[in-house]
Amino acid sequence: MSPGIFAPFRHAAVPLRRRRLREAGFVIIPAERPEEIPAIPQTCAKTARKNLPDAIMDQFLQQLVNGLAIGGIYALVALGYTMVYGVLKLINFAHGDLFTIGAYLGMTLFVSMGLAGKVPAWAAVALVAVMVMGLVALLGWLLERAAYRPLRSAGRLSAVVSALGASIFFQNAVMLIWGAKYYVYPEAMRPDAILHLFGMGIPVIRIVIIAASVLLMLALYWFINRTRMGTAIRAAAIDQGAARLMGINVDRIIALVFLIGPGLGGVAGVMVGLTYGQISFDMGFSYGLKAFTAAILGGIGNIPGAMLGGMLLGLIETLGAAYLTMAWKDALSFLVLILILIIRPTGILGERVAEKL
Amino acid sequence: MKLLRTLVLGALGLVLPLSAHADTIKIGLMCPLTGGWASEGLDMKQIVGLLTDEVNKAGGINGKQLELIVEDDGGDPRTAALAAQKLAIAGVSAVIGTYGSAVTEAAQNILDESEILHIATGATSVRLTSKGMEYFFRTSPRDDEQGRVAAQYIKNLGYRKIAIVHDNSSYSKGLAEETRAVLEEEGVPVVFFDALTPKERDYSPILTKLRSAEPDLFFYPGYYPEAGLLLRQKKEMGWDVPMMGGDSVNNADLVQIAGLSSCEGFLFFSPPVPADLVTEKGKAFIAAYTKAYNSLPNSVWALLAGDAFNVLVEALRHTDGSSEAMAKYLKTELKDYTGITGTFSFSATGDRVGDLYQLYTVSPEGKFVVKR
Repeated sequence: MSPGIFAPFRHAAVPLRRRRLREAGFVIIPAERPEEIPAIPQTCAKTARKNLPDAIMDQFLQQLVNGLAIGGIYALVALGYTMVYGVLKLINFAHGDLFTIGAYLGMTLFVSMGLAGKVPAWAAVALVAVMVMGLVALLGWLLERAAYRPLRSAGRLSAVVSALGASIFFQNAVMLIWGAKYYVYPEAMRPDAILHLFGMGIPVIRIVIIAASVLLMLALYWFINRTRMGTAIRAAAIDQGAARLMGINVDRIIALVFLIGPGLGGVAGVMVGLTYGQISFDMGFSYGLKAFTAAILGGIGNIPGAMLGGMLLGLIETLGAAYLTMAWKDALSFLVLILILIIRPTGILGERVAEKL
Repeated sequence: MKLLRTLVLGALGLVLPLSAHADTIKIGLMCPLTGGWASEGLDMKQIVGLLTDEVNKAGGINGKQLELIVEDDGGDPRTAALAAQKLAIAGVSAVIGTYGSAVTEAAQNILDESEILHIATGATSVRLTSKGMEYFFRTSPRDDEQGRVAAQYIKNLGYRKIAIVHDNSSYSKGLAEETRAVLEEEGVPVVFFDALTPKERDYSPILTKLRSAEPDLFFYPGYYPEAGLLLRQKKEMGWDVPMMGGDSVNNADLVQIAGLSSCEGFLFFSPPVPADLVTEKGKAFIAAYTKAYNSLPNSVWALLAGDAFNVLVEALRHTDGSSEAMAKYLKTELKDYTGITGTFSFSATGDRVGDLYQLYTVSPEGKFVVKR
């Protein structure tokens, strides 16, 4: 039995048929006839005074989109925590800092390669994202070799202390290499188109990022559940000794996990840079903390759980700030976390496992 | 032992009269010439030095030449106490300085006990003037003045529905609350008042909420990293409400973080940089300073030492030069004096009354320009 780790989405959404989409009120226009796309009414955005229920609804929808955009990033970072935990039962505290390094590498690569203006922005961004993913994955692998593998037989606490040390090391390395000031992603890298929809202004970049993070998560999900390598990872997560007896090279599997998790974290760093523009050497701490919370909320060790937890945390935070209290936003998120853990100690999708931290 | 004391006292008795010419007025200047604030101190020394030379060239005060005695306080309270003692022993008529509230406070008591007029220049802590010291003045504004200044600007610009968001730091929260209090006193409604969490990246939930309050000005008395993000995300939402900040957004990185198109027209108030001084005296002095030293002073704080010197000269000209008479003159007779950094008077507690701040806006090129 799978102990929660990478439990497949048994009830994953089946793609809706076109007919059902039509019934739901969508208009389907074939890609080859774009001229049929109806103009999106901008009246809502322009009218100074709307009637009250509309205004409340608009605000709610806008906050929903805001929450999903934040949640998508939390989810992507949370995957790194949850994968490592699933296989090693170790919380990789350095993960947030690998995320920071991803953000800085993205900026540095873009500037140093002089891509601005030479290739289309989307191509440059895609190229940079792939390179960052590779580099941060490599760093994650190095981290495992240097900081975790030598301690593997020394018990869990030593590894946690080592993880904290690695986190401090990375954060200070970033500060020494790039400096303590805030950096800003080059404008040439950041499309500033805004999509007007239902009276909301949504920056296109946010939609692209929600889509990209969902795509990455689906790809990971497919990899874990449908490939031989993925099966080996799941086997190692269930029982390392038994996996070894089955001829699985567990060391290689762990190394693989440390390539995938940090790689995704690095890409999330680039996404934050692209969305918000501003990056700083200590950003990994707050994002790491939130993503870690998201992983616990969804059930640590569980990949769909990390995705769900991330999105949920983003929504709780945003809606809490919007309708309850802005100043106590973080306290509110943690209150919800505590409540959920009281009701379900293993997190929302986490299953009861005999051995858990 | 007794012999030694006699000798020392005798030596002092010989030295002191020699250094004091009967026809000079001695003025003390305390400033940090070493330590982390040394650049401020050097500016102060050069500024006051230049002004002293000008007065002396024009014939001095009532026929007497000025003699400037500079003591280094190292930007450190202990050194400052020593410096104040040295100046008191040297028999100065008044002391100008210094930079830093804690450093100034260390000198304050010593000078007060010696009944020497003391004009501080870079000391903004409120309590310095709440001790009832008769001879203490300052040309720098108080920490709690910004709120009043903010409310005044908001009112004068004609905004009627104000949203205020602070970042929960003591500086930002204090300024936000002070501003709200003054605004409400003045009858300008504050329609939104809340805090955000600094060091985050995504402020769109807060901006969405703010927008529904429909303010006509968004005042954010926080720091530039968040102000930049707020400006950018506000623009991304397609919301064009004007935004205003306090002096902690005065950092060129703001433009980078917000992006050029997002921060155009952003308003903030701040003490002016030396190049932006508006008074005739200020412009003339900056010209003279540039001619003498081939550079601009680094900040406005050092220029406040220049204004301390100017009011001191006024006091010396119009009184017999005793601390008591000068203090009385500064508090009651010197009104709306236009100096280098603006027009001001002194209150009964010795505080500067009169704005140091200027309203800035961001130009389309991303430069901070004085808004007239």
